[in-house]
Amino acid sequence: MTQPPSAAGQDGAPTRFAPPTQRDAESGYAPTVEPPATAGRVAATFEALRYACLSALADLAVIYTWKTWTFGWLARVLCQVAFFALIGRLLQNPATTDYLLIGSAVVIVTMEAAFVTASSTWERGAGTLPLLVAAPTGPFVVFVGRSIQWLISGTASANIALFVLAPIFGVPLAFPTALAAIPLIVLIALSSYCFALLLAAFVLRVPTFRNIVGNITWWTIGLLGGVQVPVTFWPGWVGAIGEVLPLRHGLAGVRVAIAGGPAATILRDAGLEIAVGAGWLVVAALAFRRLAEGGRRTGSIEFGE
Amino acid sequence: MPPAVEIVGLTRVYPPAGKRATARTALDGIDLVVERGEVHGLLGPNGAGKTTLCKILSTVLLPTAGVARVDGYHVVKDTAQVRARIGIVFGGERGLYTRLTARQNLGYWAALYRVPRKIATRRIVELLDRVGLADRADERVETFSRGMKQRLHLARGLVADQRVLILDEPTTGMDPVAAHDFRALVRSMRAESRTVLLTTHDMAEAEAICDRVTMIDGGRLLGTEDPRTIGRWISAYERVEARPVPGSLAASLAALNGVTEVESIDDDGVRVHTAAEGATQAVLRTLVDAGVTAITTGRPSLEEVYLHVIGARGLAV
Amino acid sequence: MTSMDLRDGRTLRLPWPRHTGFVAGARLQLAIFRRGWDSLLALVTVPLFTIAFLAITRHAGRTDLTAYAVLAPAVVAVIGMAILTSGEVVTQDRSNGSLELALAAPSRFPIVVVGRVLVVTLVSLVAVVEAWLVAWIVFGVRVPVPHRTAFAGALAVATLATVGTALLMSSVFVAARSARTFQNTISYPLYLLGGAFVPVPLLPGFLHPLCRAVYLSWATDLLRDCLATKPVPDFWPRLGAVAGLGAVGFAAGYAILIRVVDRARATGRVGHE
Repeated sequence: MTQPPSAAGQDGAPTRFAPPTQRDAESGYAPTVEPPATAGRVAATFEALRYACLSALADLAVIYTWKTWTFGWLARVLCQVAFFALIGRLLQNPATTDYLLIGSAVVIVTMEAAFVTASSTWERGAGTLPLLVAAPTGPFVVFVGRSIQWLISGTASANIALFVLAPIFGVPLAFPTALAAIPLIVLIALSSYCFALLLAAFVLRVPTFRNIVGNITWWTIGLLGGVQVPVTFWPGWVGAIGEVLPLRHGLAGVRVAIAGGPAATILRDAGLEIAVGAGWLVVAALAFRRLAEGGRRTGSIEFGE
Repeated sequence: MPPAVEIVGLTRVYPPAGKRATARTALDGIDLVVERGEVHGLLGPNGAGKTTLCKILSTVLLPTAGVARVDGYHVVKDTAQVRARIGIVFGGERGLYTRLTARQNLGYWAALYRVPRKIATRRIVELLDRVGLADRADERVETFSRGMKQRLHLARGLVADQRVLILDEPTTGMDPVAAHDFRALVRSMRAESRTVLLTTHDMAEAEAICDRVTMIDGGRLLGTEDPRTIGRWISAYERVEARPVPGSLAASLAALNGVTEVESIDDDGVRVHTAAEGATQAVLRTLVDAGVTAITTGRPSLEEVYLHVIGARGLAV
Repeated sequence: MTSMDLRDGRTLRLPWPRHTGFVAGARLQLAIFRRGWDSLLALVTVPLFTIAFLAITRHAGRTDLTAYAVLAPAVVAVIGMAILTSGEVVTQDRSNGSLELALAAPSRFPIVVVGRVLVVTLVSLVAVVEAWLVAWIVFGVRVPVPHRTAFAGALAVATLATVGTALLMSSVFVAARSARTFQNTISYPLYLLGGAFVPVPLLPGFLHPLCRAVYLSWATDLLRDCLATKPVPDFWPRLGAVAGLGAVGFAAGYAILIRVVDRARATGRVGHE
């Protein structure tokens, strides 16, 4: 029995394969297009983001029909807010009812934004993660876009819950200032989303914990953000953490808007919420880069997984 | 021009982790060169290191030691250039956005590969046509058959006009017709001077489309050879199969010069192994004189070589 | 009648059928819990609910409602697990492909499901301990149980009634078109109508008949009364209401499950696949 020749060949150099000469001559081999200049890269990044959003909207169309969203999800949201608002009735304290209703309605948007930690793991399930890591653009852009369905649903359900249940529970709404709550809720949605993206980068390593992490996230943000009780209820250091978390400033702004407070305060709260969101977006981008690089080192990114 | 793929001393060791107390060597000093325009097969059992090698080449995994270059670019130092040049084609259901259409999937990946939009639009039309999905371009991928998804995978791997493609067990689970069509597509890659690295368990496929195959086992490279001549790893000489061959005839065959073994196959057949020039003719003459008409000659097949080299493992992985 | 051969050569005869399917289902569910944290999600959120509810009552200066604030998270978790985990028992089998195998096995499939659902419900009772512990650790609050026997009895009957409801959910989810939407939808309506925190009398009047048709509101009222110092009024009739309504849920769930199985055998499809 002869031994198979080793790839090193007899002279120790790797065995070379000589293709038929016609190939080289006729192939007209041209080097691959080099990565485009900066303007082109930005355009390509937005294009990738656009497609990721498209994927999110396609998911939304499958997750909900307008019927199941309205009579299913929205009904649950209304029950959730009513559940907390009714505690004020148990306490026989109208001010508590107002406080709980507003907080519970606004936190809905954070709750839905937190779904991004779970839905990001769908990339892992779909087997596209290694392909994203291997692509020039990298995975972060895709993850930013592919879960925006929760932003859409969350913003809608939080606003509807607030403006429909407030009159039912007798919570006074000072129009037109109260309408400022709508854009504020959008800002809270975005900042919560950015924070949840950061956690998604970690959850991708341990997908089993995706729902647990998502739920703990929005609950903690709510507790420290003044949803159920004012932040002054908590010890100083606990309350301080909430300063850099999403929702805190935006919710404070919503409470001011509904009470017809000064525009300057509302704008300041909005600005703080934007700053918090932007900060977490940057951290999330770094976390995703670390995920990709870490995955390359440890081999945790599986082909076809 | 540098070769499409050049690997020297490539090693990947996984440190002890979790329940595994020892380090695991997935690749152990692999040396390999794949020239431009070659379709190169990687054969080996599960866990041999084929996928690890593919992951390193596609920059999804870092090597522990050694060098790997794609198109002359270093997979660790020149990651961005390598990523722009290499296309990954999975087998199976994974890696596609099933709720998007075929066209949208390709547009998506084109954007991720920074292909300018105008070029991408034109190329997507060409690719869909080429892989035979033009009339299903705007249907959701979740409605596609396995074979169609695989063809879309291939189109996806070409969307940035990548010159090097890695196909990871692409025809697993495909029916023979779909697999046959897919192989024709892969052969057409060769005509465009694209390099294809293909991992497969399918010997027939490897024999049909690969210019050369490399056998890997336990992270080590066992050898590289043209599948049509790989039989000489086992035997430099032809074997003769014939039936029906009664026992007495088999005994007289065994007595011939240059015959090393007369192996029983099926119920009444034999496989005669030779090890000398001219032995085959003597065997054939004996059989024909005895009136046996069902005779074939040949070298060991790729599958035989594989089983011989990789070894009988039973059901153990 | 069951005959079991013991190791010493004797044969044990038991007057009931040997439901190996029930035991198999129970053991499977325990193994699933050991492997996957996700199915214990409802237990992970108990501390958060407890902290939130206690913060609300204490901030309002209503220490008399502490028992309400500590019982509610436990109720939420038990029902939550019934919805999330029990509800998925059959749909999960369907999606991982083992349902057809289970239907083809000798053990009666509904019995297997009962075994699994029972384990889920028993495990969910950990929430009661959790809530009490969190109240003590975070707020330094100890909630006494003045009527211990009554509380234990009410809890036991409520648990069995929950098994019935959980069985109903697991059968309805597999028969329904979009189970996941259902799961996410019925949680808070159930907490609300079941008086998990706010007792039913404080809800709008038109909801009362609906609330009283479900065992949960009876159970939560009874459990809260067991945590109060004064004697528990009408204990036995109310316990009977919990038991009776729970039995109705069990019977309905079992019947639907049998129908699903029969239709699967006839049509080759399980529910709305």
